[in-house]
Amino acid sequence: MTPAESISQAVRGHPWLYPAAEVVHLWGILLVAGPALLFDLRVLNANRTVPIAQLAKQLLPWTGLGLLIAVPAGLVLFAADALALLGNPAFRVKFLLLSLAAANAVAFHLGPARAALAPGITRAPGIARLQCGVSLLLWLAIVASGRMIAYV
Amino acid sequence: MDRRAFIGLVAASLPPVALAHHGWSGYEADHGFTLTGTIVDVSYEYPHATIHVKGPDRTWLCVLAPPYRMDTRGVARDALKPGMTVTIEGFPHRNDRAEMRAERITFGGKTVELR
Repeated sequence: MTPAESISQAVRGHPWLYPAAEVVHLWGILLVAGPALLFDLRVLNANRTVPIAQLAKQLLPWTGLGLLIAVPAGLVLFAADALALLGNPAFRVKFLLLSLAAANAVAFHLGPARAALAPGITRAPGIARLQCGVSLLLWLAIVASGRMIAYV
Repeated sequence: MDRRAFIGLVAASLPPVALAHHGWSGYEADHGFTLTGTIVDVSYEYPHATIHVKGPDRTWLCVLAPPYRMDTRGVARDALKPGMTVTIEGFPHRNDRAEMRAERITFGGKTVELR
């Protein structure tokens, strides 16, 4: 058995590791998508009494912690069933959308974020609102496609 | 082209990979049938326990439930053994003609719902 097969076998055969990883994966997703959605909604002009920069500083670091929880748990789930997952259409769509969301986030923080996150700004420029709208839709679709993995 | 069509196209263009097991909608829900046969082997593993059952026409791969549910419903890890006779009600896979999704299993005079 290769090391990868040994890990896979350990997860598949363990009495509760797989369901535990499912739960932890969801906890991680809460911490990534929750703050991301609230920030996106703020840039789209919800909760406008809070300055955007202040909200970004308080919310966005939580997404890093969320990734530290969601990614390792996701790798455990992936290890149990890697071949089936690689061929699963919902899994492929999820990772396509994840890469789009990552590219969108990087593009936002390299560009429009400077203007949107300037101190005292309460209304973001149009391009920032567009990117945050895209981000919001992407996160909803990522969670949906993740859930669909078991059904397609 | 709208974004959804684009995403579907990109997803479809990725290289195909062999499926080890299938998703929930891949079974013919309107073609339920009953299989009686002899257990060939048992895999009590996540995400789903599976057994191979030698039936009258072929040996079927029967996808059961996650091990934790099997256990709580009364099919413990050592309850199913090679050589035992079982009856399984379930649905055949659309493409894989030797795979079925089990709805309930009867062994040793006991019937257990798996859904």
